[in-house]
Parts: sequence; C-alpha cells; structure tokens
Amino acid sequence: MVGLSAGEKQFMHGGIAQDLRSDGRQRLQFRPISIQTGVIPQANGSARVTLGTTVVIASIKAELGKPAPLRPDKGKVVIFIDCSPTAGPMFEGRGGEELSSELSVGLQRCLLGGKSGAGAGIDLSSLVLAEGKICWDLYIDGLVISSDGNLLDALAAAIKVALSNTGIPKVSVIVEASAEDQLEVNVSDEEFLQFDTSGVPVIVTLTKVGRHYIADATSEEESQMSSAVSVSVNRHGRVCGLTKRGGAGLDPSVMLDMISVAKHASENLIAVLDSEIAAAEAAEDDGS
Amino acid sequence: MKELLISLNQTQKVRLQAALQHLAELASQVSSSNLAVTVADTIPVNNEDGILKGHGTTEFDGQVVATLCGIVERVNKLVYVRTLRARYKPEVGDIIVGRVIEIAPKRWRLEINFSQDAVLMLQSMNLPDGIQRRRTAVDELNMRSIFEENDVVCAEVRGFQHDGSLHLQARSQKYGKLERGQLLIIPAYLVKRRKQHFHHLEQYGLDLILGCNGFVWIGEHAEPIDSEVLEDRDKIPKDKQRDTPLEVRRNICRISNSVRLLSALGFALSVEAIVDTAEASKSSNVDIKDMLGAEFYVQTAEREVQRRASLLRKKRFV
Repeated sequence: MVGLSAGEKQFMHGGIAQDLRSDGRQRLQFRPISIQTGVIPQANGSARVTLGTTVVIASIKAELGKPAPLRPDKGKVVIFIDCSPTAGPMFEGRGGEELSSELSVGLQRCLLGGKSGAGAGIDLSSLVLAEGKICWDLYIDGLVISSDGNLLDALAAAIKVALSNTGIPKVSVIVEASAEDQLEVNVSDEEFLQFDTSGVPVIVTLTKVGRHYIADATSEEESQMSSAVSVSVNRHGRVCGLTKRGGAGLDPSVMLDMISVAKHASENLIAVLDSEIAAAEAAEDDGS
Repeated sequence: MKELLISLNQTQKVRLQAALQHLAELASQVSSSNLAVTVADTIPVNNEDGILKGHGTTEFDGQVVATLCGIVERVNKLVYVRTLRARYKPEVGDIIVGRVIEIAPKRWRLEINFSQDAVLMLQSMNLPDGIQRRRTAVDELNMRSIFEENDVVCAEVRGFQHDGSLHLQARSQKYGKLERGQLLIIPAYLVKRRKQHFHHLEQYGLDLILGCNGFVWIGEHAEPIDSEVLEDRDKIPKDKQRDTPLEVRRNICRISNSVRLLSALGFALSVEAIVDTAEASKSSNVDIKDMLGAEFYVQTAEREVQRRASLLRKKRFV
C-alpha cells in the first residue's frame, strides 16, 4: 500500500521518538476534526467527519421490522462499512472488502456489546414498539471517502454524530388489530423522537510505531505500525470495547498504560465532538 | 491525491470569500488576453479559415467548443485548451522527484505521477565510485545497492524514446537518492518551471526540492558527496544511524506544513512563498500543527492578496 524508503522510515521513527511527527503534531495529538450533519437527506440521520485528510460518511436508516424470536424485547442494529474506490485504487473491485469487514467487526464490537445485546452503546430495548411483534431495525452504513489512516476512530465519531442527528418517526400501535399476528401501526411523519446518544462511545486508536505509541496515525504511520489497540470509551470514562490489530505482541503493562492514555484522550475527543455537533447543528438550521 | 479540507467558522468564511474575490479581480486586471473556458464553452475563432482543432476542443454545430476546463492557447492556426488541473506532462530538462517501484534489467522504473512509469537506465546515471566506464554485468547485479524499491530519487527528464517511453537521467552529484526527510505530493500545476528547483535553505538547515511533477522533497541538508571523500567508507554507516536534530526537524515540519497549506489554497509554490509563509507563522507565534488550522489558512489567503496587490502597484509605477 504505502511504500516508504529506508530514509523516510528512519525519519518518521526519529520524529516519533523526538515527539514531533511529520506534520508537527506530538505523539498523542489528533488532527483537526470537523463535522457536518444532515448530509444525506433520505436517511434518518447522517454525518460527515473529516479528520485531517481522512473523510468518512455515516448514515442511519430506520425501518420497521420484526424482533428476532430469541430476543423479543430487543431491536436490531446492523453496521455495514464500505470503502469507496475513490479513496484509493486498492479499494477497487473486491479490494476493499477485507478492510471493510475488519472495520465493521471492530465497530460492532465497540458499539453493540455482546451477543445478547447487553452493554450496547445503543439501547436496543428502546427500539421495540410491541414486544415480539414489531421493532425498529437500524441500518448504520459507513462510507470511507478518503483514507488517510485512523479510519476506525473517524467512523465511530461519524456514527456517534449521525445518531445524535437521527430523528425516528413517532409510531402509535393500533391495538384492536392484535387478534392476528400482524399489527397495524401509524407512522407519524411530523413527530420525531430524538435518539439517546449519551451511551454511545468514541474510539481512540493508539498505534505502536517503534518503541512509542501514537494517537491518530496517518496511513504512512500505519504502514510502519507493529500493533494497534482501539479502545472505545463512553462519556463516563468507562471502557466499552477493545480491539487489537497487528501481529506483534504487547506487554500487559503497556496495554494498561495505553488504556489509561486512551481514556484521557477520549475526554478531549468527546468534548471536541460535542462542540462540533452543536456548531454543525447551528449551521444546518441556518441553511434550512 | 488526498486533499486537505479545512472547516471554517462564519466570520472566517466571509473573510476567505472576500480574499478570494479580491484575488480573482487582481487576476483579471493582469491577464485579459488569456481566455479561460469550461466544458461546453464556445471558443471564438472569428470564422478564420483552416483552424486546426487541438487537444480539448471539438466541433459542435459549426462552432469550436471546449471539452476541458482550462486556458485557450493558440499557436498559429492551432487552437487547443491547456488544462489547469491535469496529470503531470513531462518536458525535457524537467527536474523531478520519483519513487522507485521496480528494478528491471539495466533499469529502474519510477512512479512520477505521469500516465506511464518513467525509466532510469543504469547507463544514464553516475556510478557511486564516480568512474566513467562501461557498465558490466556485476554493476547490473549490484543495482539494488544504488536504489532499492520505494526509494525516493531525484532525476532529470532526458526525453522520450522511440517507443514512447519516458527516460530519465541522473548524471550529477546533486541527483540521486534522497534520505532523511519527507515526500509531499501536491498537484503538479502548482509547481512552475524555473531555473532553480533545488533549494538549500541555509537558515533552516534543510533541502527543498520542488519536483516539476508535483513531488516535493523536504529533508535535512546533505552535502553532495565527492568521490574522494567516499573512499572513507567506514564513516557512512555510523552517520546513517544519526537522528535528525530536533531544531532541524521543527524547521522541516514548518516548511512541510507551509507547502501543504499553500497547495490546499491552490497558490503556486515558489521557494519565496514557502519561506514567507513559514516566517509569518513563526513571527505570529503559530504552532507548527496549527498552521493547518482554519485561522492561519485564512490569514495566508489574505497575505497573498496583499502581496499580489503590492506587486501590481509596483508594476503600474514602473
């Protein structure tokens, strides 16, 4: 993918050791992040997140469906990520599938909790309209438009922003038709319910390059990584999920250190996201 | 090419808009002869006879119509459109920076942002020992000791061969492998052809190479190695382990960020503009990483307006 010469590699490693990366950032600093909401009119909620030169879009679509028979009191959430060929020639054809599924699995682990739906960032039971009969299915689609590293963090941020932008139509269940299995529902097109996003975590990925670890790696830095740990942390500073990529092993003490650093970094990230969400919503209101 | 997108707040947006508007006005004052066209614009040819339709034009309803965005150029009877944003088109003598992608018999293949890969023949570059002689099979086997795959190399365009392939040459000490620095890729049209493409910025202790193909190398200053010094081979491996000093690295990052910023704004890259931007960031105490932030982005656009306006004023007085 990204080929670097020996001289460039050495320069990058030296920069990380000296705490000054090639774009002037320190090891744990993020690139400037910016947010737009409501970028897809057909979706219930959408957002574009730009992190330096990485650009991703997330959209939320809600559809009425039937809960799974084993879990009648829970709605369904499906996460699908696609890497657009516009982001790079390596994503052409089936080239992006491996990365797409890796990102989808990583996000599912971080956002959706266990198999039973416990510990999910999105409250699944709030999606149920009539137990065992009808519920909302949330389809979360992410699209990578420009790829310059740290896709997982950008996608998680985009999903969090898109969820806060989501309005789900208010539904009233007409009770008398309950004799049959099919329920009659009345979907309001005026009243929308806001989504509770306070529990949705952000993901902070720390990438180990050489002897140090860095936050928000660019694709050049990622090409030199030995391993990367993605920690998803919610607003209360609790760790919700953990994914490790890369072959090299990590010492448990380093791992614990990384988690506490990620927790600290997530506080900043959440604060930045909150202020950006407020600004983006204000901008959207002005526009409409 | 990855483009930098910068989000601006409301006042910054207004300021940037004003600055860009101003730039457009200044540009229209300077050049009225060049006709800018977009796709489907008609090109006025004043019913001349025997007009030759060149690149980027077609005939539609008896009129010459542009099929590309760019500037209309005329050479005698030939009318063509010179595109503003296109792939790099090499010309003989261009100094370019490229990345080795393959080692083939007697040649290296380089990626230079052209529609095909460039070829650097073993015989068209100086050997490291500096002796002029025929290349032997041993030399061919040792090619990887000169350039490896992924190495960044600086060279000069030698010309097109009969089969249409692009050949390069590196017959001087100033060409060759580039180490200890970073490569930035920007649109090629932002680099204008000049006398000087190698710049040694002494005040910063770094080398800046503006490749005509839009590859910009910014690295620690390296003295061209004389063949006599090279006898002392033991010294080099030790030297390779050395890290770039922090002060030089700060300067490299600052210069790199000014290149990124200017290319994001779409301003032509000259060494003066780059150094000027870096100095402005230093004097207004802007942190290196904040150079890519919204505020400095707008400030740079406004400074460019002032620079061009003063240039225009000087021209009028002369």
